Parts: sequence; structure tokens; C-alpha cells
Amino acid sequence: MKPSVRHTLFGTPAAAIASVLLAAVLLYLAVGASLSGYALEDIDWDAMEAPPTATHWFGTDLAGRDLFTRVSSGGRVSLGVAVIATLVSIAIGVPYGAFAGYLGGRADHVMMRIVDTLYALPFVLVVILLVVVVGRSTLLLFAALGAVFWLDIARIVRGQTLRVRHAAFVEASRGLGAGTVHIVLRHVVPNVAGPALVYATLTVPGVMLAEAFLSFLGLGVQEPDTSWGVLIADGTENMQAAPWALAIPAGFLAATVWSLNILGDRLRDRLDAAVRSG
Amino acid sequence: MHRFLLSLITLLLSATVAAELRIGLGGEPSTLDPHRYNLRIEETVLTDLFEGLVTFAADGSVAPGVAESWQTSDDGLTWQFNLRRDARWSDGHPVTAEDFVYAFRRLLNPATAASLAYFMYPLANAREIATGEAEPHTLGVQAEQPHTLVITLAAPYPYLPERLLYPTGYPVPRHVVERVGDDWVRPEHWVSNGAYTLKDWRPQEAIELARNKHFHTPATLAGATYVPVASAQNAFNRYRTGDLQAIAGFPAGELERLRAERPAELREAPLQSAFYLAFNTTKPPFNDVRIRRALALAVEPRVLTHQVLKTGDIPSESLVPPMVPRYTPPALPHANLPQAERLRLARALLADAGVGERLEVTLKHAAGIANKKASLAIAGMWRQIGVRTRLHQAELRAHYADLRQGNFEVGHAAWLGEANPEHYLALLYSGTGDTNYGRYANAEYDALFEQAKLQADVAARHALLAQAEAVASADYPVMPLYAAASQRLVSTRIRGWRENARDVHPLRYLAVDP
Amino acid sequence: MSLAWLARRLAGVVLTFAVIVAAVFGLLRLAPGGPFDGERALPPEVEANLRAAYHLDEPLPYQFARYVAALAQGDLGPSFRQKDFTVNDLVARGMPVSATLGAGALVLAAGVGLWIGISAGLRPGSRRDALLMSIASLGIALPPVVAAPVLVMVVAVFWQLLPAGGTGGPAHYVLPVLALALPYTAAVARLTRGSVVETLAAPHLLTAAAKGLPQRRVLLRHILPLALLPVLSYLGPMAAGLLAGSVVVEQVFDLPGIGRYFVQGAINRDYTLVMGVTLVYAALVLLFNLAVDLLYGRLDPRIRLAR
Repeated sequence: MKPSVRHTLFGTPAAAIASVLLAAVLLYLAVGASLSGYALEDIDWDAMEAPPTATHWFGTDLAGRDLFTRVSSGGRVSLGVAVIATLVSIAIGVPYGAFAGYLGGRADHVMMRIVDTLYALPFVLVVILLVVVVGRSTLLLFAALGAVFWLDIARIVRGQTLRVRHAAFVEASRGLGAGTVHIVLRHVVPNVAGPALVYATLTVPGVMLAEAFLSFLGLGVQEPDTSWGVLIADGTENMQAAPWALAIPAGFLAATVWSLNILGDRLRDRLDAAVRSG
Repeated sequence: MHRFLLSLITLLLSATVAAELRIGLGGEPSTLDPHRYNLRIEETVLTDLFEGLVTFAADGSVAPGVAESWQTSDDGLTWQFNLRRDARWSDGHPVTAEDFVYAFRRLLNPATAASLAYFMYPLANAREIATGEAEPHTLGVQAEQPHTLVITLAAPYPYLPERLLYPTGYPVPRHVVERVGDDWVRPEHWVSNGAYTLKDWRPQEAIELARNKHFHTPATLAGATYVPVASAQNAFNRYRTGDLQAIAGFPAGELERLRAERPAELREAPLQSAFYLAFNTTKPPFNDVRIRRALALAVEPRVLTHQVLKTGDIPSESLVPPMVPRYTPPALPHANLPQAERLRLARALLADAGVGERLEVTLKHAAGIANKKASLAIAGMWRQIGVRTRLHQAELRAHYADLRQGNFEVGHAAWLGEANPEHYLALLYSGTGDTNYGRYANAEYDALFEQAKLQADVAARHALLAQAEAVASADYPVMPLYAAASQRLVSTRIRGWRENARDVHPLRYLAVDP
Repeated sequence: MSLAWLARRLAGVVLTFAVIVAAVFGLLRLAPGGPFDGERALPPEVEANLRAAYHLDEPLPYQFARYVAALAQGDLGPSFRQKDFTVNDLVARGMPVSATLGAGALVLAAGVGLWIGISAGLRPGSRRDALLMSIASLGIALPPVVAAPVLVMVVAVFWQLLPAGGTGGPAHYVLPVLALALPYTAAVARLTRGSVVETLAAPHLLTAAAKGLPQRRVLLRHILPLALLPVLSYLGPMAAGLLAGSVVVEQVFDLPGIGRYFVQGAINRDYTLVMGVTLVYAALVLLFNLAVDLLYGRLDPRIRLAR
């Protein structure tokens, strides 16, 4: 591990805790489902809504399915949705911001005005409408959430692009007669991608919370698949009789979101420092 | 500091403690117009606000209401209702036979757009009026005297009094409706003829009822409030904190603890209802009776009710719920086979139908813990015969819209209601329309069903209906599962509460200890 | 801040609003199922009667024109599901509840968040800074979806200190506001701390400090206005976030706000109710953002000059 990386991940107590926590969660997501000996849809007819025991480490849900398996598998879906939605938001936001920043002037003005306008919309509500209208599909969830979160990325990338617009390598390639599209995609984007990726680490927990919100309203992933949001919603419906079914997925969600936020902040701070000194 | 906070909180709270009875309602009524209502929760409130020709007794059975007595002609086509003289609207106006004539015509008038107008289709010309083919005044209802109402039917219908229990049979205050139009349902114009009258309605918050001074048998309780709750968990929280004194639903997982810890407050009763799986008989491969039979054989209703749901539901082998009186359902072909044998048979049927272990089924169910639990368990049972099931959950309305449009493979469905077998067996009659979700059509079944509908004698009618069900059960258009049970939590301060198969609890029979 | 600028911004708001009206209208009409699907089935002739009564049998452009014409007069139409009320009625009844909830959370999040952020930011790296910021970062991981059910269970049901739901007095708002404000309090705190730290490092402050101005005065005159700017620009997204969060909180606490109408309307395909609530939400957020922009222009000297 390079010293700088180590410093980022373990430089402060909070960062160190977050790194360890996140690593533990990722390990659990990777292997948890295979450790319990129960498949996602296996029903234990003799243990409906059972508390944690030696056979079911996290207890079972309302239909007697092993929660150790389901929380692990649900976590993969939650994190998967978040990562894919983040990639979608990068795919839209990076070129959008780069073109706006590079073109400048009127085009920039109009493009950023659109971003500002979209910012002002109660977008999560639009996602709800969309899910209600089109029906629940995990694919739609990726796309819809990605479409909401690209705005941040576009703004940041535009800001970065303004910095490199007149850099020597851009001017040089313009002098060689390269087209706008070529310059933006080949020279601008690679140079602003770093900051965009760092900010994207903060998008991941944001999307996870949005997914939990949609699932809470019953608009999330469909059975037999599950997600932390769905598990929390199910747990809430029966939280006094089976508190573990709420506490465990909620704890995992909170721990993961917290860790990602701490590490994302840390990355951003260090990047800012690097930009300033450089 | 801590004590100060506590006393501040107590002070804030004291303003909210209710002096009267507060009852949780499982949702927000969409209307209090008895002719435009659609939901059970609306029925609950309307039952307290209005009185029909007949009304609910404390145990949910039919009791005389505005009509003191009634007689039927020998052919079962003419019914005479004798109204009580002391029936009054809450503004003191007398309730007369004319009010009922006006109400029934209003219900069936297409302009009213009453979604449950068809409840009154047994009346002569009712369907024709609702479809705009006849004028409302041709309806089979006449006020022979101010206190004598005569109803004429299109065909014998021995269950008419029970049918008149629904709000669709309630009168509306003509003298107010004609003056203020659709606004008559607002609290400021409200006039009704039940034991209670509407004091205030704040949507999503409270429906406040006050005793109707003019009601012939004044109620004990001076008033009550129905409080809409967003979920069963909310209802339970608010019951436990003392905010509500009676609730209809609570999280299913609480049941066992409540049985042990609060037996005096827990009121359980079987509910007159049919929960079943509907197969879409027009959609391959479910048009193949072998597939339907295999899927039905693999499902064990008893495991569903006793090991999975555990909420007191009663497994049923017939589409007609077991508590429907005077009806003996036919024995099902597979009723007495042991489960291992049923599974073996099911696998053989699948192999015979050429799908082996490759069958994939989409099972649709309505949102709600019990529906979800049952559906998950059914999927688990089908896994035992190598069938892979995808579950599709939708909100209640969207789910039944899908079923009615035939947009499903297998659907988990519920039919709540009456104490007559026809109410349930109509679901398999090809002339019923879209509530025959699976579009089952069998000429022999239809003939027997139509023949039954012509009988004025209940015993003869039910014998024919049982024959019809025997014909259908060999085709497996549906898989009957269970009759649900109702669970309520009722404070021990409330007296006069009687659990019953219709799960109705009119306020006028209740009293509250201080 | 010229008049022309204001006019341009207002025109933008109106245009955005028009786009939202058209988009939401189109979206809802695409939905499968109709507003009249109920527990019990409707015969086709009855459904036809209902559709005619609500003009749903007309071609879509006609329906849209009818809607827009009514909207221009401030009429959001009848509710398909809440048949005894108009959408205007329902919004008017639900709005005070939602507004109380939202304003309470906004004030709490901004107030407490600023306080934490400033105390931490004035001494970056101190133990106090570390403590406050770890607490704040915990808040970020507690969205209403997690916080609301836990608060009900612990505070209302086990301790019986506060009501578990419904309305009736200020006490009924304590837990909902808390559940809603938690993550935003944390976000404001972190934002404030960041910008306080940054502002402290600016050259003009070093000058001010060198001139020997009293610390309190430096804080109020030089640090706060600049440190507030990022927080101010966060208010817009925060308002949108609070709105979404209030939907969950109203659900968990049985509050009769417009968020519950939104969810129920969406699920029941109550076209007019969902339209109405969405438009009210959108209008609120648009106006709120406009107000923030105006305020921003007043506070930031650079922007004031640029205009």
C-alpha cells in the first residue's frame, strides 16, 4: 500500500474505523450468502420469524427465510444499485459538464441553466411517479436514480474543465486542428475524471439512501430479490415482535453509508489539498 | 431540567387525551355518500351513520332496521317491507317509503356513477337502468303507503334482506340532497338516519360522530371518533400508547404474544371470506388442466394456515367458506390423499404435460404482510415439485385491476362477504364478466348455475349450486385456500363488543367504562 | 441585481413549471389501471358512467386543455378518490401540517447544524472538533427511513414520553421533526465547518486579526457572511430533500400532511390529487430556490458586482 493511500484510509481515527467497517461489510456481502447454508428462497418451515440462533445467525424473516443470507444478498443489491446508478450519473454528468465548460459562452450558460432548473425539482417524487407508472423493475431503478444524481457530477466537472480549458495540451491539440468532440473526449475528460470519481464516492451512499426511501414506500426491488431498503421496510412492519429484522439491515445500511461518507470526505479533502498545492 | 421536560410533555399531552371512544380505521374513506362508496372501511363508518330497511344485530346477523317486518310472495318475486313510524332523519324529518324509492333510483341512475350499483341488480329493471336502457322510474320499487315499501325482483332472490345490509341499500336525505347537491356529504350539511350523525371530518386525521338525538333507540355512547391509520404497525403503536381504544389490524407477528399477554383485549373470529388462487385458464400453459391440477395438488392449505400464517384462518377445500349456512360443499377429488402422494401425483402430471421441471410461474398478490407470507409459502411448496415461482406484488387496486383484465398467470385473490354460496360461485360463471378472473367457462357449470338462480326455495337452490361446484372442481379453475380470520384489539373498558363472521361492530351497541 | 435579471429568473420559473405540468400529466395517463379500481369490481357500464362523469372519456388533448384552463384559475379539480373533497380542499388541509413539519425541520437543521459547524470549525483539529464532527457524521447515516421507526418504538412506545402518531398538539410534532431533521442537521454542520475553516485561512482575515480587531467582531463581520454562503446554496437541495423525507415521516407518524396524499394518490392513480400535490411541491421548491438566489446575491459581494 502506498503511504498516501494508507494515510487516506487510516489517517484519522474516524477514517480508520470507516475503512475497517467497510471492509468487513464488503467481506460479508461477498461470502455471507454462502456461509449460512441457506439459499435466498429457502423456507425453514419450523422457524418462522425466529430470533437469531445458532442455526439462523441473524434470525429469520416473516416467511422463515434466513436473514443472514438475505441481508447479505440484499446488501449486494443495494450497493449494486448504488454503484450502477453512480456509473450512470458519471456517464451523463462527465461529458455534459466537460462540453459545457469547454464550449463556454452561451452554450455553457444554457446547459448550466438546465442543470439549475433540474436541481430545483422534487426529483425523488418524479422517481416515485415513474416507478408507479412504469412498474417496478430494478433496471429502471438504476436508470432513474442515476438520472437524478448526475447533476452534481456535471457541475463539478464543468468547474474542473474551466481550469484545464486553456492548458497547454488542450491549446496544442487545438492548434493541430483537432475537433471539439475529439478534444473534449480525448484530452479534457481524462484530465477531469479524477475529481469526478472522488465526488462519485459520495454519490454512492446518496443513492443507497434513495433506494431505501423508495423501498420503504413499497416501490423498490421485487421479491424474491431483496435489498436493505426492502428488508428495513419489512422489519418496520413488525418491529416490536421481531426487532432484529429491522435492527440488522438498518444497522448495516447506517454503517455502510457512514463509512462511505467518511472515506468520500477524506478523499475529497485530500484531493482539494492536492489541487491547491499543485 | 429532566423533571421540567417531563411535566412540560405531560402538559402538552393532556390536551390530547380523548374523552370519548377512538377507533382505528385501516385507511381513509374515499366518500361518505352511501351510494358512491366502495371500500370496507367506508362500510364501517356508514353503518353507524345510516340505517337501511334492515340492519346489523350486535352479532352481525340481519335485524329489522327502518323496516319492522317484511313478507315475501310465494313466487319469491315480491317483497313487502313495513316501515316503523318513529324513524327520523337527524334533523327531525320522518323517514318514509318515498325516501327509499328516491334512494334506490338515485343509486342506479347512471348519472350517480355508483360503483357498487350492481349490488341492487336483483331488483326488476335495475341493470337496464344502470346501463341507460331504461328510465329510473321503471325500477322495481314502489311506495304503496308512506310506511309500506314494495320491492319487485327480476328473479327469485332469497338473500334480499342480507343484500340490503350494504350501504347501497341505505336511504339518503332527499330534502337535503335536492337543496345542496353533492355537497350534502359535508359535515355542515350532514343529515342521516342512523344512530349517529357526522360532526366533523378531517381527512387522514379524524371522522367524528355524535349521537343522533332523533334516532328511535338512542345509543349509549354520546360520540366516537374513527381515526385513519397509515399501517398496522402505526395502529398498534397508537393502541399501546392509549391513543386508540380499538383497532382492526396489528402486525401479524404480535399475535402469539398478544394471545398470551392480553387475552382479554384480543378479539378473534373467523371471517366470512374466500381466499383462493385463480388460474388464468386462457393462457398457456395454464389452459392445460394437468398443470392447474399439479399446482393445486402441491399446495397444502393447512400448512399455510397453521404453520405459516398462524392467524386463526380456516383451511377450506371449497370456494364457499365453511361458515356459510345451509350449504354442503362437494368433496374435492384429492381431499384425502396424503401429502407425499399428492406431490408424487403432481410431478407425474407435470411430466405428463411435457413441462417436467421447467415450469416457471408468476404469482401475483396484493400488498400486505399476510398476502405476501401466503404467496411466499406457496412458492416454497411449488419448489417441491420443481416449479420456479416469480412473485409480483402490487397495491390492492392495481392487483385486482390486473386480475380483472386477465393480466396474470396465477393470482392470489380474496372475496369477502355474504352468507350465500351464490356470492362465491358466481366467480366461476362465464356470464359474470371480469371478476371471473381466470375466464373459466364450462357449459355444464353455467347451466346448473343458471338453473339454481331460478329457485325460490333455498334448499333446492343450494343443492344445484353444490352440483355446479362439483363440476368445476374437477377442472381446477381455482385453488381454494382458506377463510381468513379477523383480529382486533379492543380495550377492556369497552362493553358490548361481539366478534362475528362479518366483523361488524356498530357503535350503537357499545358502551365505555370510565 | 437588476430588474431584468429578476424578470428572466421569473420567466424561467414559469417555464419550468409549465414543463412539469405537461410531464406529470402525460406520465400519469400512461399508467396501467384506472382511478376506479377498487376492492370490488365494477361492471363495464358503471365504469363507463364514472369515466364520463370525470371527463376521462374525452381525447387526451381535451383533458389536458380542461386541466390547464382550471389550473389557470387556481382550481386543481376534484379528487377521484377523495370524492367528497376537491384537491384544493385537501391541499389546504394538509399544507399546514406539512409546512409545520418542514419548517420545524429546516429551522432545527439550520440552527443546530450551524452551531455545531461553527464551534467545530473555529478550532479545527481540536478534540471538540473531532467529537462534534463524529456525532454529526453519525447523523448523516440516519435517514428518516431508519430514524423514524426507531424513535417511535423507543420514545413513544417503550418510554411513552411522546405520542406515537396523529395530531393534537405541539407534542405530536417533536418526534417527526427530529426524525426528518437529523441527516440535514449533520449535513449543515459539516458544510459549515468546512467553510468556516476555509474562511479562517483567507488573507483578509489575517489582516483583520493583525489589525487587532476583537475576535467576536471578526467572527460576526468577516467570517460568518462568507461561511454562510455554501450553507445557503445547500438550502435549495435540502428543501427538496426535506420534502421527500416528509413523505416517509408523515407515513410513520400518521400525520395528515400532503405527503400522505401524494403516496396514496400515486398508488391509487388518483390523477388529479397526485398532479395537485406534485405541482404544489414543485411550486414551493421553485419559489424557495428563487428566494435563496435573491438572498445569495445580497450576501455575496462578488455576485452583487457581477450583476
